[in-house]
Amino acid sequence: MNDETFLNETVEVIALFKAGHHPCQPVRFKRPNGKEVSVTELGLRHPLPNGLKTVHAFDVTDGGTDYRLIFDSERLTWRLTMEADHYE
Amino acid sequence: MNEFNQERPLIMHIDLNSCFATVEQQARPMLRGKPVAIVNRRTDKTAIVTASYEAKAMGVKVGMKLRDAKILCPDIIALESDPSKYRYVYHRLLDIMKDYSAHVTMKSIDEGVIDFHDTSQAIAGRDLVDIGYEIKQRLKDEIGVWMRCNIGISTNRILAKTAAGLHKPDGLDMITSQNIKEVLGSLQLTDLTGIARRNERRLNSVGITTPLQFFDADVPTLRDVVFKSVVGEWWYKRLRGYEVDDVETHIKRVGRQYVLERFDLTYQEITQRLHHLCESVGSRLRSQQRAARGVYVYAKTLDREYWHTSSLSPLPFFSDQAIYAQALQLFQRAPDGLKEIGVHCYELADFEPSQLSLFADDIARERHIAEVIDTLNQRFGERTVHSADTLNTGIYVHTKIPFGSTRYL
Repeated sequence: MNDETFLNETVEVIALFKAGHHPCQPVRFKRPNGKEVSVTELGLRHPLPNGLKTVHAFDVTDGGTDYRLIFDSERLTWRLTMEADHYE
Repeated sequence: MNEFNQERPLIMHIDLNSCFATVEQQARPMLRGKPVAIVNRRTDKTAIVTASYEAKAMGVKVGMKLRDAKILCPDIIALESDPSKYRYVYHRLLDIMKDYSAHVTMKSIDEGVIDFHDTSQAIAGRDLVDIGYEIKQRLKDEIGVWMRCNIGISTNRILAKTAAGLHKPDGLDMITSQNIKEVLGSLQLTDLTGIARRNERRLNSVGITTPLQFFDADVPTLRDVVFKSVVGEWWYKRLRGYEVDDVETHIKRVGRQYVLERFDLTYQEITQRLHHLCESVGSRLRSQQRAARGVYVYAKTLDREYWHTSSLSPLPFFSDQAIYAQALQLFQRAPDGLKEIGVHCYELADFEPSQLSLFADDIARERHIAEVIDTLNQRFGERTVHSADTLNTGIYVHTKIPFGSTRYL
């Protein structure tokens, strides 16, 4: 079975904003415990309705673990809401 | 009409491969190449909604119980469905398809049809096979590298869909007068959309056991002996590439069902879930600008009994309260030992009343309240405002992806 952990951590993110089909790509993020994660691939970015506003869900991986980052474009904040690994 | 339609094939059917599982593998790269099953609830008794190709290769099938799938494929990874992700991909696919023609019809959340008749000059001059490969590439560029789709091209919808199913995953095939017999020769009768076990038995009863024999059958046999209706004539035309399925379907009923999370719930707890379903049905009904005259309630028991009852009112209704009041009254006759409950509204009518009523003021007030609640829920999120009775049901009765209809996406 899979091993998903649901979180609600505020994280610091370095993201690249550029032209093209994927205009915002998280590149690296730092968790409250100090662990830094380098994003090797953006799996999917999709909007999520959240009350009056829309936040953006970024499903990313560092090549060993999958993560979900939520970007609140109104408050300009990032949260780490899920990590999943092993899948064994 | 004896010959295959000789016009240029201009119907393209696009089908996302194992859609929900592929989207999850796209979103979570560590799942790629692994057997994945999408379920609505992660319990052993739950049925699999979608299986990835890796799981299908191990014998896992859609509709199979998760516990049975684990026997075939112990490493299977079960994920709960994530409707917002699938809706996003659906809208991205729709956007891509609309770039090629104004005549796009989505058949469900994971498949759609582009009709290239009456498209722009620039598109009409292009080879549809090239456009097919371009759409495949755009899916990868605009959504993600793991996205794949089957594409079928032909002169009508059913043969385009058949073509899309020839080489899964990631195929692109065309059915024309040149290869129709070769294609039909490689298929079983039940590979044709619309031919399931019952129709197969009908065809078998007159000695038709293969699609090729079906193709060679004449109109009188199909119309008067096999299908005993005009349907036989439609099949004769379909198999020769003529379009008979380009019809607009109208919504006839709106409903929802729910498999109880536990089978020892009290009567009150069950009616709370019924109330929740009625609120959901009411919201869907009004989103289509419809009211209803009939309520149909059903239940399945642990003994596999199917119980149902219905009532029809002289005047249409639309509010959650009106639907629930009728459903609750009907539900009082429901048997014990329930496993699943469902409610449908039928005999749909326009939301706007067509004639004056003695109770116009009351109806206007009820309509106003319903509209305000729908607006609030639309703006602040589903079920922001709902009845106090269903305060605790939201954690159980989740909104799931509707198959077959794209009306609520």
